[in-house]
Amino acid sequence: MRTTVPIIIAFLSGLVMVLAFFFNPEKSTIGRFEPEVLSWVTIVGGFTLLLGVVSIVRVNYGAVQRRSPNWGYKLATVISVFVMALPAMLPTRWSPLFGTGPGSIYDWLFNYVDAPMMSTMFAMLAFYIASAAFRAFRARNAEATLLLVTATLVMLWRVPMGEALLQNIHHDLPGLINTYIMGGANMAVQRGIIIGAALGAAAMSLRIMLGIERTYMGH
Amino acid sequence: MNPWLIIAYVLLIAAGAFLLYRAFRTADRRYIYLAVSFFVIFPVLITLTFPTEISPETRQLYDAVEALPDSSNVLLTFDYYASTLAETEPMSRAALHQLFRKNCRVLTMTTIPLGGPSIAERVTRELAAQYGKKYGVDYVNLGYKANYVAVLKGMGSSIEAIYPTDNSGTPLAELPMMAHIKNYHDIRFIIAISDNAIVDYWISIVRAQYGIPVGTGVTAVSAPQYYAYVGAGQLTGLLGGMKGAAEYEALVGHPARATMGMTAQSLVHLFIIFSVLAGNAIYLIQKRRPKSQGQA
Repeated sequence: MRTTVPIIIAFLSGLVMVLAFFFNPEKSTIGRFEPEVLSWVTIVGGFTLLLGVVSIVRVNYGAVQRRSPNWGYKLATVISVFVMALPAMLPTRWSPLFGTGPGSIYDWLFNYVDAPMMSTMFAMLAFYIASAAFRAFRARNAEATLLLVTATLVMLWRVPMGEALLQNIHHDLPGLINTYIMGGANMAVQRGIIIGAALGAAAMSLRIMLGIERTYMGH
Repeated sequence: MNPWLIIAYVLLIAAGAFLLYRAFRTADRRYIYLAVSFFVIFPVLITLTFPTEISPETRQLYDAVEALPDSSNVLLTFDYYASTLAETEPMSRAALHQLFRKNCRVLTMTTIPLGGPSIAERVTRELAAQYGKKYGVDYVNLGYKANYVAVLKGMGSSIEAIYPTDNSGTPLAELPMMAHIKNYHDIRFIIAISDNAIVDYWISIVRAQYGIPVGTGVTAVSAPQYYAYVGAGQLTGLLGGMKGAAEYEALVGHPARATMGMTAQSLVHLFIIFSVLAGNAIYLIQKRRPKSQGQA
């Protein structure tokens, strides 16, 4: 029962979406049914967010209670969840500080705490890339040399100073890099990856619909 | 020029040269970090800018929007996290400059729960105020809804069914602009600004199934992936990273943050290239040195 019901739901949901693609949404029953299914999916998606919040609070609060290693960070996580979420959920008619609109507590915390922190974390990549490039990017063999030369040309092409430098070597060199590296070799490889990934996704969908793939049920 | 400013520049250049020398001399990563900091901060202090060549992909997006009739309905998405604001927000701003100048009706939305609606609200309201545009008449922010695949698909049937209210909780039926926009068939163009794989779904669901042209702006790291779609005609224009944003800013005639950031990015790119070449030169010298000499 615990296996069969989810498989039937997955099969029917998938089947509706596949069939609806081939039918006129206004003139067929299955076409009209599609928006209903999509509304359900959106509502279920909302509940999965709730599940995520419950999970993060349970795991981290448990760790704080047990005083496990680095429990201070976990306490900060739990406090952050509530400080961000609670004012955002309260009705705006009580105070303009509630909700998620401009001037709200949530908006202020996002713009002045969360956004700078996220940007800082992302910006630190530049330091690691520079260090790694100096220490590890070596022309050890033909493939690595090809990668190194291509990366150097693309990095030069992607910035105005590099672009000017390339134009001094040959006036059309930036255009050639765009045409032959990005629009040639890169595009060919990307197409292969995209088509391969799409075929993989189709095969996986079929496996889920037919009940062969059951990892989503924890099996 | 102020002589103190010249002295400051000379000192900064000398500091940069010293850091580079120490970084290569000692191979201590802290000097590399200091050098990167220097090359990021230095151009910001002296506001140095360089002209940017316009790539064909950026021009394609700009031309596609220019070709839209005035007052067209355009969907602009803010599908990015705060971590990539430096690359993606200038794209959104430039797009809004062009759209508001053309008197397009702009519908904004996001598939990012953390801060996506806040970014859309802040940027759109700021630009709308510059052009004297009115909320609900000239632009509407739909905000965020969970499960983006269902959202993208569902908007093809009815936007109101997926978003009964806008980001502030106002029913869509009360917004005059939404009387003209029921589903994708009422939208002339989509500009998806993103830092994740959501653009794939804008292409496979909206472009492929509803035939609405989609242009995109993505981070530099994901731009190569989308050349395949541009080549196939499934994407109408592509802005790649901060360079793409700077090109778009130049085209719309509002050079701003991305244009300013180009010099810092130029210097850091050149530093990384120099680092790679220096690292390889050291590697080759060490490789050619006899082993006994190396062990001594």
